[in-house]
Amino acid sequence: MERDNHQEGEAQGVKICDSPSESNPPADTLATSLSLLGNHMFPDPVERNDGTTVVKEEPADLHLSDVTAQEQSLDAEHVSNQVKKLETEAAENSECQNNESTETTERGTEDAAIDNDQSDSGEFVVTMLAKAKLEEQGIGVKGRSSPLLEAGTQESPAFMSHRDEDVTADSWRQHRKHVFVLSEAGKPIYSRYGSEEALSSTMGVMMALVSFVQSSDNIIRSVYSEEHTVVFLQKGPLVLVCVSSSRQSEQQLRGELLYVYYQIISMLTQASISRIFEHKKNYDLRRLLAGSEKILDGLLNLVDSDPSFLLAAIHCLPLASSLRDSLSQILQKAITPNLVFSILIAKNQLLTIVQEKTVIEDTRLEPADVHLLLNLIGASSAFQAGEIWTPICLPLFNPDCYFYAYISYLDPPECTVCLLLLSTDKEAFYAVAECKRKIEEAMVAQNSLSLIAKAQSYSVSQVGVSDLRHFMYKPFDVPDNYRQLTQFTSPEMEAPYSSEGEKMRLLDLYRYMHSRIHSTSRPLKLIYHVAERETLLAWVTSKFELYTCFSPLVTKACAITAITKLLRWIKKEEDRLFIRYPPKYSTTPNPSKSSRGGKSDQQDSTDNGFLSLL
Amino acid sequence: MPELSKMKKPDVKVVLLGDMNVGKTSLLHRYTERKFKDTISTVGGAFFLKQWGPYNISIWDTAGREQFHGLGSMYCRGAAAVILTYDVTNWQSLAELEERFLSLTDTANHDCIYAIVGNKADLTDPNAQLSQDSDGVSQDQTECEEERTEPQVLSACPTPPASPASLSGMVLHKQVTHEDAVALYGRILRYKGLEEKSSLPAEKVCFETSAKTGYNVDTLFETLFDLVLPSILRKRNENQESPTVDLEECRGASSKRAKSTCC
Ligand SMILES: Nc1nc2c(ncn2[C@@H]2O[C@H](COP(=O)(O)OP(=O)(O)OP(=O)(O)O)[C@@H](O)[C@H]2O)c(=O)[nH]1
Ligand SMILES: [Mg+2]
Repeated sequence: MERDNHQEGEAQGVKICDSPSESNPPADTLATSLSLLGNHMFPDPVERNDGTTVVKEEPADLHLSDVTAQEQSLDAEHVSNQVKKLETEAAENSECQNNESTETTERGTEDAAIDNDQSDSGEFVVTMLAKAKLEEQGIGVKGRSSPLLEAGTQESPAFMSHRDEDVTADSWRQHRKHVFVLSEAGKPIYSRYGSEEALSSTMGVMMALVSFVQSSDNIIRSVYSEEHTVVFLQKGPLVLVCVSSSRQSEQQLRGELLYVYYQIISMLTQASISRIFEHKKNYDLRRLLAGSEKILDGLLNLVDSDPSFLLAAIHCLPLASSLRDSLSQILQKAITPNLVFSILIAKNQLLTIVQEKTVIEDTRLEPADVHLLLNLIGASSAFQAGEIWTPICLPLFNPDCYFYAYISYLDPPECTVCLLLLSTDKEAFYAVAECKRKIEEAMVAQNSLSLIAKAQSYSVSQVGVSDLRHFMYKPFDVPDNYRQLTQFTSPEMEAPYSSEGEKMRLLDLYRYMHSRIHSTSRPLKLIYHVAERETLLAWVTSKFELYTCFSPLVTKACAITAITKLLRWIKKEEDRLFIRYPPKYSTTPNPSKSSRGGKSDQQDSTDNGFLSLL
Repeated sequence: MPELSKMKKPDVKVVLLGDMNVGKTSLLHRYTERKFKDTISTVGGAFFLKQWGPYNISIWDTAGREQFHGLGSMYCRGAAAVILTYDVTNWQSLAELEERFLSLTDTANHDCIYAIVGNKADLTDPNAQLSQDSDGVSQDQTECEEERTEPQVLSACPTPPASPASLSGMVLHKQVTHEDAVALYGRILRYKGLEEKSSLPAEKVCFETSAKTGYNVDTLFETLFDLVLPSILRKRNENQESPTVDLEECRGASSKRAKSTCC
């Protein structure tokens, strides 16, 4: 079986969308680069099962793609080993472009075969790699048969830095997900594990790969091997690379790299980065990012452990709507010129958000921007007694200019309730700090802090549906809010998902379901997935996106009934689970559209002063 | 429940400047919380109010990263004292004070006090290795006492035997001497166009500290607070002359007036 698979695997190769026939010369070079990469990252081939695929294609929509497939009834079953998959469409043919390495089990034989046989359909062309070389180098490591069952068990999401790690050690290679950032000139900028210096040779090889593909006017997108997915993302002068054994889809991994890019932008702005590299192609960006590694480390840990990133939605803390409204009103009253956002956070979740009318009129606050803000707060609050004033860019709002963020905890020394005020005026610290005093005063008067302290996430048992273990619900139809603030709700992860390993396993299952739902080649509306220890059902409609997890023996019919009950419960609790009407205030006599305008506020992106030091 | 800081109107402003990683946050943390704990590189600046007797002193702990360079002059506006911090084991951190940070202090008060602080003294000075929180400085180090007054000797003898230093094995070559700091102070006075005679002598404002052990940390802050007292009193008088100026007005206005001495 392994042998057969191996033969098949040899046939895998480079997928290039717009240069189908020029296979050999590029493949040679590419294969050499890949071998080198394999050498650097995974020098000990355990099994020579090297299905390696390189995919190049035109940039596709990096975000959650719209689901276009027709909703259909559950009508086909696809059984492989103990894993039963039931999808809306029979798993017939033309599934080739679907390069998900997250195929549940036995990806080897069956899927590899399908990939090869059918990859010339559609827009992709498979090119044979110089296979002999790849076999020698062995990019693949251990032949795992069931990634979904194994993935995550060795995960340790503890917040720690790995700068000092020995990059030649096995343990370094075995990290589930490596992330590297380098400049176009090949200078290392960031590595999740190990120092960038120690990794410069690895980065150099990646750079060789990237420049090879750039030279033929393509953007290299990803490289697949049996065990790893390597995804490349080029944004301006930065190249981001993810090497993952997490079995996530390329799309998901690319989305995560995009978060890393945005977090860098949030600290430096896109305009500054372009300008820096325009002036000096091989500038060492670590000079400016030094000290920010922990922020990026923290982001990657969150990306792995918090489904908000996967769903591109915000998770707010459930709160009686009367309390949420009163908090919003407190924020609404404490204003000063040029204040644009007032955000209240408890236990790292959103309580409420109030925004300036004119600034945000024509747009909405993107969840990604909120995620970046929350991560920044989490990573920079070691010394929590003070009031922080710092420039920050919201990349999706406007990648080229800064806001000034006032960050202060309202309940020292516990420091669980955090106030975040964003102003467009660099000099406004004292005025904004005064808003905080007003807010603090009002909260004392209304006893808000002790009410907030009682607020907590909910248990799935409150839904009252037996067999339902967990769910994630992202509505598109909560009146007035989706347009302004994409949210989702989800109960605590409880037994059997209480350990870190089990939590990660459930998240991996969700990631798998999500990748199927959002597959670019073959999106699905409904998936019923019987895994070994649980049964999952994912469902997307025009009104919501829902992921549910049931005990393993639940029947399809039971699950459907349960979901009907769940949806009814959510509807009933909607006011508590979501921020319904994000309130607004007006603080700008002459609307500061500037923050949106981009060009008009050039000065804002430079007057942080560091450019003068270059 | 947090006590309302609304009542506390800062009388005077002190700013910590210096390259990243020299230990500014650690120093302030040691002073206010009496602890040395893991820090995360500061973003932007962090504002603290410290009660000093009947006075409220605002302290800005700024980020040393180049990324935040441009904010420095804003933090320094109207400062009564600036603590220029370097790392005694890192020569470059002293050079940065002159190259990168000194110009930021142009917005400080004209009578601003400048302190030069070499932190991480525990790495070079055996005296600084003993925790000051538990006991007083221990007496039984006569042989090292000499080295403290003449720091160059230490670098010639990196691991003095039988001292607490050799126990930890951490004594490094000292890269910045006290004299270097004193010389920098002289250049700062010249930069500011101040007479050395009429200014505070270097001995009063050049410190070596350790946030890790607490060595000299209280001395540093308390000496400075004493030194800015006249500034506080003057300001209080000004405020008494115009008693209608309330906190809010003061704060709101401070951002508008280019060279406000407020806050
Ligand atoms: N040995 C020793 N280490 C210290 C001392 N003070 C700080 N450190 C260490 O130096 C590092 C930097 O300390 P911080 O206080 O964060 O430095 P900072 O000046 O605030 O840095 P930025 O916020 O980036 O500007 C930390 O790892 C501290 O543990 C000290 O007195 N002795
Ligand atoms: Mg600091």
